[in-house]
Amino acid sequence: MATLSIAKREFKSYWNSPIAYVVICISLFGLGLVFFNLNGGFWEANRSSLSLLFTYMPRALAWAVIPVITMRLVAEEKRSGTLEMLITLPVKDHQVILGKFLGAWGLVMALVFATALYPIFMFGYWNLGSIDSGPVLTSYFGLMIYSAAAVSIGLFISSLTESQIIAFFITTVLLFFLHLFGGAMPLDILPENLEMAAAFISFDTRLSGFVRGMINLRDVVFFLSITILCLMGSFWALERRKWA
Amino acid sequence: MASDVMIEARGLTKRYGAFRALDKVSFEVKRGEVVGFLGPNGAGKSTTMRILTCYLSATDGTAKVSGHDVFDEPLKVRESIGYLPQRAQMYGEMGVLEYLRFVAELRKIDGPTFKKRMKEVVEVCGLGNVLGKDIRTLSHGFRQRVGLGQALLHNPPILILDEPTSDLDPNEKAEVIDYIKEIGKDRTVVLSTHNLSEVEAACARAIIISRGRVVADGGLDEVRARGGRVRYLVTVDEKRILEAGGSFLEKPSAAPKAGEVQEALSKIEGVLSVQEMPSDDSAHAFMLKGTRSTDLRAEIYSLCVQKGWLLLAMNREVQKLEDVFKTLTRRDDAGARGGKVAKAVDEALDDEEDFDDEDLEDDDLENEDFDEDDDEGLDDEELDDEHDEEAEDLDEDDEEKK
Repeated sequence: MATLSIAKREFKSYWNSPIAYVVICISLFGLGLVFFNLNGGFWEANRSSLSLLFTYMPRALAWAVIPVITMRLVAEEKRSGTLEMLITLPVKDHQVILGKFLGAWGLVMALVFATALYPIFMFGYWNLGSIDSGPVLTSYFGLMIYSAAAVSIGLFISSLTESQIIAFFITTVLLFFLHLFGGAMPLDILPENLEMAAAFISFDTRLSGFVRGMINLRDVVFFLSITILCLMGSFWALERRKWA
Repeated sequence: MASDVMIEARGLTKRYGAFRALDKVSFEVKRGEVVGFLGPNGAGKSTTMRILTCYLSATDGTAKVSGHDVFDEPLKVRESIGYLPQRAQMYGEMGVLEYLRFVAELRKIDGPTFKKRMKEVVEVCGLGNVLGKDIRTLSHGFRQRVGLGQALLHNPPILILDEPTSDLDPNEKAEVIDYIKEIGKDRTVVLSTHNLSEVEAACARAIIISRGRVVADGGLDEVRARGGRVRYLVTVDEKRILEAGGSFLEKPSAAPKAGEVQEALSKIEGVLSVQEMPSDDSAHAFMLKGTRSTDLRAEIYSLCVQKGWLLLAMNREVQKLEDVFKTLTRRDDAGARGGKVAKAVDEALDDEEDFDDEDLEDDDLENEDFDEDDDEGLDDEELDDEHDEEAEDLDEDDEEKK
C-alpha cells in the first residue's frame, strides 16, 4: 500500500516536470528516425518484421532514457533533504526502494508500450505486410524484464551518491559497457575465458533471443537476478545512512 | 505503556568515526510537556531528534517513544510521532493539498478522517489560501506551516520539531511559536532551537545540550538557577547628596565619585562583581552580580543612606536563560576560535603534508592510517576532559569574563 503510494507519487512527479515529456518525445523521435532511415532501415530490409526496432530500443533506453529517469530517484532526495521527511513517515525502507523502482519502471514501460503504435499502425492499419506476432510479444516481454534490470541498476547507483550528475554518468557508462561488452564490441585482447564471461553478461546477447521470438529461461533469470540484486543493494545503501 | 513518560532516552551515543556527536544523552519527556531542546549549532540536537524518529540509529544506548523502542519498532514509533525536520524540505513540484494527501495515504488515514483532520490542520496552520499552490512557490514561512501541517495530520500524541523557526522572519517566527503553544496544549512537544526567547515563550522546560552532552535539564527556573547568578542594577545620583535634614544639595565637593561608589559596593558581603555601566551625566550606574540565594537590596540601600548617596534606581533580576546558555555552552567554539587556532591550523597543515608523504610511500599507507586514528582518539578524550572541567568551573569562567 505504502509502496504503491510512493510509486504513484514518483510516477506523477515525472509529469510535473518537463523530464517525462522531453525524454519520451526525443527518444520516440530518435527511434523512429533510426528505425526507418538508418542504412535504409525498415524499407531497405524489406521484410515485415520489427526486429530492427527491438534491437535499437534497448540501447536507446539504456543510453538516453533510463539514466535520466533514475538519476534523481534517491540522490536528489538525499541532497534536498526530502528523504528525511519521507523516511520518518511510517514506511519501511524497502517500501521506499520498491516504490521508487516501480515509479521509474512504470515510466519506462509507458515509453516502451508507446512503441506498440508501430505494429498497430504499420501492420494493422496500413497493411505493410503480415507480421509474425510471436517475436513482437516476446520482444516486449524481454524489454519489460530488461528495463527492470536497467532501472534497478540506475536506482542502485542513485542511492549511492548525492549527486544526480554523478549518478547519471556512472549509470550511462555502466549500461554502455553492459550492452557492448562481448556483443558489438569485440574483446580480442582479453583471454578467451574472460571474453566468454563478458559475452555471458552482455545485455545485447541476452536480448537477441527475445527479438528472435525465443524466451530463454536463462535470460529471464539473468535479468531478474540483476533486478533483485540491485534492489537489495539500494536497500542496503539506504539503510547505510543509519550507521555512517 | 501506561506510564506518563512519552519519550525516554537512555545513554544515547552516536559516533561518526572518531567524532562523538552524542555522548550518553539521557532524558525523559512526560505526557503534555513542551520541552525546548537547546544548544549551539552542531551540539547534537538534530542527531538526537533523528534517532528518536528512527532516521538514524544510535551507536549505543536505547530510546523509547510512547513505549516503543526506536530500534525494534520503528514503524510504531513513527506512527505516534509528528516530525518536522530541519528546514522542512518537501517535494516542491507537488501542490500543498496533494502533498498532504500523499502523507495521509502513507499514514493510512482514510478519506472521511482525512477530511476532518484537514479542517483542523488548515485552521491551526493557516493554510486556507495556499492549498492549491505548488510547494516550491511558497515562502519559507508557509512551507514551515505546511511542514507543521503534515506533522499534525494524524493527530499525533508527540510532536518533534527541529528548528521550526529557523529561516523565518520575525513575524513568521512569532506566528509559528503561537501555533506551537496552541498545539502544545494537549500534546507532548519537543522543539529544538537556538533562539532562547522562543523557548521562554513556548516551553515550560529546557534541555540544554552542548557538544553531545546534556548540560542542563529542568524547568526554566531550574535551568536559570544553573547559572546561579542574580544581577542588580544600581543607579546613584552623581551630583547631589542627601543632607541630614532630608533635603538634598548639589555639592560638587562631596558628590560621590564613580570609583568610590564602586569600591563601596564591592565591599558588601555577597557581591561577586561590580561593573560600571554607561549612563548620562547626572548619575552613576553599576551592575552587581550576587549569588542567587541572597538578596542584597537592603544592604545596598542602607549603604547609600549611610553615605548620603541618592539612590535613583535599583533592580534585582534573575539571570536570563540566554546567559545560562552562554555560560554552559561557551567553550564549544574554543577550538575553532581564540588561542587554539594557530595550533589547529598548524596541525591541519602538518596533516596535509603527511598525506603528501603517504602518497609517495604507498606501502606505509595502512600503518599511517592507524597512527592517525590513535591520535584522533586521544584528542577527543583530551577535549572531553576539558569539557568536564568546564561545567564545574563556571565561577572561574566568570572571573575570566571580568
